Parts: sequence; structure tokens; C-alpha cells
Amino acid sequence: MNRFPKWVIHLGLGIICAAMMVPFYWVLKTSLTGENIFAYPPSLVPENPHLFYYVDVWYSIPFFRYLVNSVIVSIIVVVANVVLNAMAGFALTREFMGKGAIIMLFLSCMMIPFQVTIIPAYLITRDIGLLNTHLGMALPLCSTIVCIFVFKASFDAIPKSLIDAARIDGVPDWMIIFRIMVPLSQSAIATNIILAFIWSWNNFLWPLVIIRDNDMQTLPLGLARFLTVVEDSTGALYAFCIMVLVPGLVIFLLAQKQFIAGLTSGAAKG
Amino acid sequence: MNWKAILLNRYAVTFGTVAVVTLAWNTYIAMNDDGIIGGRVIGPQGQPVAGAAVVLSERTLLVTTPRGRTTTDADGRFTFTGHTFHRIWLEAEKPGVGAYPQTEYRMYFKGQNMILDEPLQLEPSAGGRSGKPS
Repeated sequence: MNRFPKWVIHLGLGIICAAMMVPFYWVLKTSLTGENIFAYPPSLVPENPHLFYYVDVWYSIPFFRYLVNSVIVSIIVVVANVVLNAMAGFALTREFMGKGAIIMLFLSCMMIPFQVTIIPAYLITRDIGLLNTHLGMALPLCSTIVCIFVFKASFDAIPKSLIDAARIDGVPDWMIIFRIMVPLSQSAIATNIILAFIWSWNNFLWPLVIIRDNDMQTLPLGLARFLTVVEDSTGALYAFCIMVLVPGLVIFLLAQKQFIAGLTSGAAKG
Repeated sequence: MNWKAILLNRYAVTFGTVAVVTLAWNTYIAMNDDGIIGGRVIGPQGQPVAGAAVVLSERTLLVTTPRGRTTTDADGRFTFTGHTFHRIWLEAEKPGVGAYPQTEYRMYFKGQNMILDEPLQLEPSAGGRSGKPS
């Protein structure tokens, strides 16, 4: 039995939630008023709110074009992550010579920052003719080691007898992965989707290096460009942040049920 | 197929609402983007000022560039047509009466029709201020 009545717990949780929402509220308020963030005393209620900063953002840069570019790159990254990481994760659940060395290689590669490999990555991307393309932007994020291990951990929890039974029935490896293992690994899929989307959506350095045309820029690059275009930037900058935030937020709010179900089903597995 | 369940699905409701609002907004824009700006110029005592010069300007990153010029009629009214901006500056002047300082007016889309609620009041001394569309 709880030591506290329910309303006390709900009140406490409500206060914590409100405190966590304050930064988001502040960004929204500033985007509507343009009030300087250092203004003292700070006002909680927006004074004379208007939407003109959003209009400024819309006309200052090709926002819709940047949004489409970001969405295309994110879709490529998410799909590639789920498919490639599932295959790599499945391979690491099998026994073969040098498996330990490959896992060690993967783990050691995680310690190398992307900035170190950016020149070779650029040269490879140039040689295969993917500079200034959506696929080129997505390429370095198409498979990530962290997500491979997420799939490996999830696949390890699936009984081996299930795979053996499929093999006896003559099911090929790719069908074992995508018809048996992946459907049983919703938590890994959800984690892959969330992480891949966030990394791709926020990626700045790699697109900055390989993109030449303004029309191919993504939202983070657009934000950097926007800062050089708009002179009185406080309100417009915050409006831009809201416009970048909203699509991802809407997608998350719509799909949070599936995300949470996937994560918790993984927690209860085994 | 259960059409009711499909239509009331939260994905369908959310994206459908966005599509309807976008369509309605673009229809409104198409009907109100003739670039017409109308208003009145009055003197310090509130009387209409005929023959006052009104200048419409656009401000870029560095400079303010005049984009239109007109004079008021006998009732002090003026009209600009065919502007393509979402952020303009208006100023008015009549020698011997006074001047209305360069003042910012903002709109929700480029070329929005705008009838000014408040007249431009000429005063002997000038100072900047902001305005909003009606």
C-alpha cells in the first residue's frame, strides 16, 4: 500500500512535468514575442504575441525544401539502419572463427570520433559519386555499431531452438532474420528507429562537408544559414527552432504508444 | 473495410487536419494577395491631408529601398497596388504640415491586401514605431 495518497503523487509528478516543460514553453513564448532572453524581470505570460517571426522564417530561407531534404535523409537512414543492423546483429549471434575479434573491432571503432574519419569518408563518397546527394548524406549513418549491438542483444534472447526448427524446415537465412527474428524484436526496432531518426535529423557536420547546393541543405544547415540572413534574430531564431521541432514531436506523440510498447516488451523478454 | 475506424484513426485525423488547414490557408492567400495597401493621411489636428507624399519601402539586410510612391487624394486617401512584400515600411510627408516617420507594417504572407485601421498622422517631429495589419 502507498504511503502517500494518489493526489499527492499526481501533484508531485505534475510539478516535475511542469518544470521539465519550462524550457519548451520559453522557446515557444520567445518565438511569439521576440522578447530578449536576458530581459529582467522575466515575464511568464507572453505580451503582445504574434506569428510574424514564423512568417520571417518562412520567407527568409526555403524552409519547406530543407524540411523535405531532412525527411528524405531520415527515411533512408531509418530504413537502412533497421535492415543492415538486423543482418549484422544476426551474424554476431552465430558462432564463427574470429567472432570475438570482430566484436572487439566494432567496440574499438566506437571510440574513434567521426571527425577523425571525415576525410576518408569524404573521399570515398566522392569516388562513388554521392557528393551533394541525399544518399551521400545518409551513407555514414546507414549502419551504427550501437544499434547493431542492440539487435544482437535482442536476438540473443530468442531461443536457438526456434532458429534450428526453421533451418530444418529449409528456411533461408534472410527469411529467418526478417520473418522470425525481426518481428520478435520490437524493442530493438523501436530503439533503432528512434536513435537513427534523432542522429539523422540533428546531423550537421557531415551534410556541411558534402553539400554544395543550397537546395540540398537540411534543416540544421538551414539554421546556420538563417543566422547569417536575419539581423534581428531572437524571435525568428526561436520560431525556426519550433518549426524544426514540431514535425518530429508530432511523429513521436502519434507513435509513442508503439515506441513504449516496443521498449517495454523488450524489457520483459526472457 | 471499416472506413469509420480508418477515418477516426489518430494518424488520419492529424494529417487530415493539417491538409485541410493548409488547403484553406492557401485558398485564403490566393484570394487576398493582390498587394493592395490602402490608408489615410491626416494632419496634426486630425484633418485629411491632400497631396501628401506617401512612400512604401522594403528593408533588406542592410538598406531600406523605396518600392513605391504615391500622393493622397482630396480625402487624404492613398492606395498602393501590386506590392510583393510581407514586411513594409510606410512614411508620409507634406511640406508645411508635417511628416509621418518611417514605420514598419508586417503581414502574414507576401502581397497581402491591407487596409490600415489607423491613419498616418503627420507631426512636426518624427520617431519610429511599429504597426500591424488590420
